[in-house]
Amino acid sequence: MRTNYLLPYKFKMPGWVLFVAGLIAGVFIITNNYESDFLTIDVLSIINDSGINSKSYFQIITTDVFDEIVSIVIIVGGLFIGFSKERIEDEFIYKLRKDSLVWALIFNYIILLLAIIFVYDMSFFDVLVYNMFTPILFFVGRFTFLKYRLRSHEE
Amino acid sequence: MKNKIKVHRAIHDMTQADLAKKIGVSRQTINAMEKNKYVPSTVLALKIAQLFKTPLEELFFLEGNE
Repeated sequence: MRTNYLLPYKFKMPGWVLFVAGLIAGVFIITNNYESDFLTIDVLSIINDSGINSKSYFQIITTDVFDEIVSIVIIVGGLFIGFSKERIEDEFIYKLRKDSLVWALIFNYIILLLAIIFVYDMSFFDVLVYNMFTPILFFVGRFTFLKYRLRSHEE
Repeated sequence: MKNKIKVHRAIHDMTQADLAKKIGVSRQTINAMEKNKYVPSTVLALKIAQLFKTPLEELFFLEGNE
């Protein structure tokens, strides 16, 4: 199966390392109520809130970037796992990957719909935070599960 | 769709791994096809038929309601 968007197999392991480390750091950030000051640096902000009803554009601001780095690590790690080739990449594994993607997207939106209906106020902010990562998490989870199930069902 | 891959594999005295290697897929793919859990692409079906030197119709069959 010829695909032009898949990374080489060697991205798989680094992907898992980044993904798991990122998720652990993410849980740490959430349990600390998003408060951390490990890495306070100056960054370019294309858009940010300067007041209640005003926004400023293209400014250098000083902020803690630990949560940004963790977010990037989780997303990049997840993409590396889901979109790197398997040791033997063939049409069947390609189908499993596609099926997992469809499953993850539908499952994610069912959960989001329930959250929209039943979760309100600041708790919904948590839903938005989780929802940045659940599509890739469900995709990687489903894909890994299907591969594992195949391996354990052999003759 | 059903297939007789397992039968032809036995005739040629090949394991799933042997067949997988010869046509460039994983052993899991052969296993899934033999258990009728995966319908191969036309390309892969032709590759298997070519390897077993048999017509496609001898290897793959439609089921009643297809």
